Amino acid sequence: MTTAVATQFAPKDFKSELKPIWCPGCGDFGVLQAIYRALAAIGRPPHEIAFISGIGCSSRIPGYTTAYGFNSVHGRALPIAQGLKLARPELLVLAAGGDGDGFSIGGGHVPHAVRRNDDITYIVMDNQTYGLTKGQLSPTSAKGRHTVTSPEGSLENPVNPLLYVLAYGAPFVAQGTPADIPGLSAMIEEAIRFPGFSFVNVQSPCVTYGEEEQQIKAHKAIMKKLDDLGHDPTSRLQALDRAQSYGTELLTGVYFRDPSPPPTLGSLVRERQESLSAKAKPRERILDLFLQK
Amino acid sequence: MSSTRGIDFATLTLKDALDLAVFIEEEACERYGEFADQMEMHDTQDAARFFRYMVENEEKHRSELAERRRELFGDAPTAVSRAMIFDVEAPEYDEARAFMTLREALNAAMRSEEKAHAFFVAALPRIKDASVRELFEELCAEEVEHKRLVQVEIDKAPPDPKIASKEFADEPVGE
Repeated sequence: MTTAVATQFAPKDFKSELKPIWCPGCGDFGVLQAIYRALAAIGRPPHEIAFISGIGCSSRIPGYTTAYGFNSVHGRALPIAQGLKLARPELLVLAAGGDGDGFSIGGGHVPHAVRRNDDITYIVMDNQTYGLTKGQLSPTSAKGRHTVTSPEGSLENPVNPLLYVLAYGAPFVAQGTPADIPGLSAMIEEAIRFPGFSFVNVQSPCVTYGEEEQQIKAHKAIMKKLDDLGHDPTSRLQALDRAQSYGTELLTGVYFRDPSPPPTLGSLVRERQESLSAKAKPRERILDLFLQK
Repeated sequence: MSSTRGIDFATLTLKDALDLAVFIEEEACERYGEFADQMEMHDTQDAARFFRYMVENEEKHRSELAERRRELFGDAPTAVSRAMIFDVEAPEYDEARAFMTLREALNAAMRSEEKAHAFFVAALPRIKDASVRELFEELCAEEVEHKRLVQVEIDKAPPDPKIASKEFADEPVGE
C-alpha cells in the first residue's frame, strides 16, 4: 500500500523570495533543498523556526528560507543560537555555517555548545575551503592541498569535525552529502527531532575552488552508507572508530545517536528556576536585601 | 539520481498516479526555474533562456495533468506527497555550471528526460491497475517525444567554443 507522507507543509513553503547567489553547481543548493524537505516533514510553521548562521557562502542559507534568520558574525552562530534557545525555548533553532566558520574562527564555541547540550541542530557545510574569499586553505583542507595560500601544498593536518564533536560528547552526530539529497534530508529531520545538541556535517563541494575528487559526481561514486556497513549508531566507540576515516573515505549516515539523551541545558535551567523560585524574595524586597548586608 | 520513497506501484490508484505525475512535473518546473535564476544571476543568457523555456513546458504538462486529475476525481484527498519522489524529471543540482553554453544546457535537459523515461520504464512491470498502466505508458511515450524534441534543438545549437569557459573566465560572482 502506498503510504502517505503528507504533512501540513510542502518544501516550497520554506523557500524565500531571495534567490541564492551561490555559484551554479554549488553543493549548498542540495543542502538547502534537503533542509526545505526536512522542515516540511517536521511540520512546524516558518514563524516557529529560527535559523542562525555565521559568515561565509553557506552562512547565507537563513536568508533563503522563510524562517526567522540571522546571518550573524563570523564564527558566532552557536553562541547566538544557544542564547536564543535559552530565551525562547519554544522555537526550533537551527545553526549553520561552513567549516571555516565552525572549526576555525568559531572553533572555540563548538565544545561549549556540545557540553551545554541545548536542543539545537548545527549543520556545517564542509567544503574544505574558504570559498567566499576565493579559495584559501580552510581548517578541513586536506594535507598537501594546493590553494592560493598553499601554492606548494598544505603542510597542515586537517581538523576532523566528526572526531571533534564526538570527543566532546555530542549526543547526535551525522554526516551527509548533497549527492544523496533524500538521505541528507532524512538525516537533518532526525537531527532536528533529536532532543539535544545535534550535529550534521555535510560534505558540500565547492564547485569553483574544490578539487575534482570532491565534487558531487565523485561523491556518488565513493559514498558508503553507514547502515550498509553494519554500523551501530548507539556506540560512541564505534562512531569514534568510523570517524577516523574522515578525509579518506565518505561515510554517510548517523555516526552516533545517544540511546539515553542527557537533559538539555534549557530543561536544567528551567528546573533550577523552579526550585529557586520558592526561595526567591519578592521583587519589591530586593533593595532590603542589599541594605541588610 | 532519481529516487522514490514509500510508493507501492502494485497498489497505486489512478488518482494517486496522476498526483505523482503532477508532483514530478512540478519538481522539474521548480528546478528549471532555479537553474534559470542561477544563469540569470551569473549573466549566462543563452542557457537562462533555454531553462526558462523548460519552465514553461514543465508547467504546461503539470497543469494538463492537474486538470485531468480534477476532472476525474475532483478534490478527493491525495494519498501521495512530494516527499515520495525526488529528481525524477528534474535535472540534478550539479548539472548547473557557471557560464554553461546552450549546448551544455540542452545536454543537461536530455539527461533529465532520459532519467524520467527510465523511471517510468522501471515502474511499468510493477503496476497492476490497467488504468495506471495506461497512464504510465502514455507518460513514457511523452518522454520519448521530449527526448526527440531536445535532440532536434541539440542538432541546431551552435558548437561549443574550443576553449572551455573555465580556461579563461574568472570565478562566478553573483550580483
